[in-house]
Amino acid sequence: MVHVDDPRGRWAVSASEVLRILPAVEWRGAPPIDLLAALGPLGGRARRVLVLRGVHGREIALVAAGALAVGEVDPHDVLPLPSVLAAAAPQVSAIIVASDASLSLLIEPSAVISSSASVVGEKLCPSHS
Amino acid sequence: MRSFVPITIDSTWVAVDMATVREIGGPLTWIALPTATAALPGVAAWRGRAIAVADLAAVLGAGDRLSPPTGRVRTLYLQQGASTLAVPVDAVREPLTIADSDIRPPRARTESFCTGEVDVEGHTTLVVDLGAIVDSQRAVVAGGLH
Repeated sequence: MVHVDDPRGRWAVSASEVLRILPAVEWRGAPPIDLLAALGPLGGRARRVLVLRGVHGREIALVAAGALAVGEVDPHDVLPLPSVLAAAAPQVSAIIVASDASLSLLIEPSAVISSSASVVGEKLCPSHS
Repeated sequence: MRSFVPITIDSTWVAVDMATVREIGGPLTWIALPTATAALPGVAAWRGRAIAVADLAAVLGAGDRLSPPTGRVRTLYLQQGASTLAVPVDAVREPLTIADSDIRPPRARTESFCTGEVDVEGHTTLVVDLGAIVDSQRAVVAGGLH
C-alpha cells in the first residue's frame, strides 16, 4: 500500500495501482483529484501526486497532501465499509486499522477513475450542459 | 413497559431503546468519509468490522458536530436491523423502564425519528428511533444517485 498521511484524514491505495509519484508541479495532465476536498481545503501544504492508470490509457493524478509511506497491510486489518455507507462513498472501499488503532481510508481506484472519466466526458460534450 | 437508555448530547436529553444497545464504551476513534452525510459522517472499527458513526448533534441540531479522530466521552453501539451504529454521546444515564402511557407525542420535533417525549430526572427527553435515521440516510444516498 501507498499511505498518505493527509492531515484531513489518512488514506491509502494499493501500490500496484500507482504508476509513479511526482511533485505536483511536475504533473502535466488533467488537474489532480483531491479525494478529501469535502473535508476541508488543502491549504499551503507541499504536495505530491500519485499517478494512476485511467481509462483508455489516460493517466489520472491524486493529490497527496502529507507524508507518504509504502508498507504492507495485514488483510485482517482491512475492514470493508458497512452497506449503509458504501453507496455514499463509492471511492472508499474499506478502512485500514493500524497497530495504534488509528484509521485510514482505503481508496478504490476504479471508482475514482470512473468518476474522473465521467467528468472528462462532460467537458468533451458541451451540448449536454 | 419499555426500557430506555437516557443519553445527553450537549444539553439535549435523548432516550434510545434499550433493546438496540449492544455496548456502551469510552471515546471513539473514527475517520470521516469525504462524501458522507452530516448524520452519518464517518466510520469506526468495532469487533473486527467497520461500522457507521452517527452524529446525533447534527441530526438534532444540538451542540457541536463531531470532529475526527475522536468522538465524545462515551459511545453507544447500537444495532438497527442489519446495521450497527457507533453513537458518540456526552453522558449515559441509568437505564429506566417507562410505561407506554407515559410517552407523550413529541411537541417540539416533527422529524420521523422523534417518536415521543418523556420526563427523565426533570428533563424533557426525546425518544428517538435511530432506525429511522438509518432509513433516511439510505433514502438520501439513493436520491443522490439518481
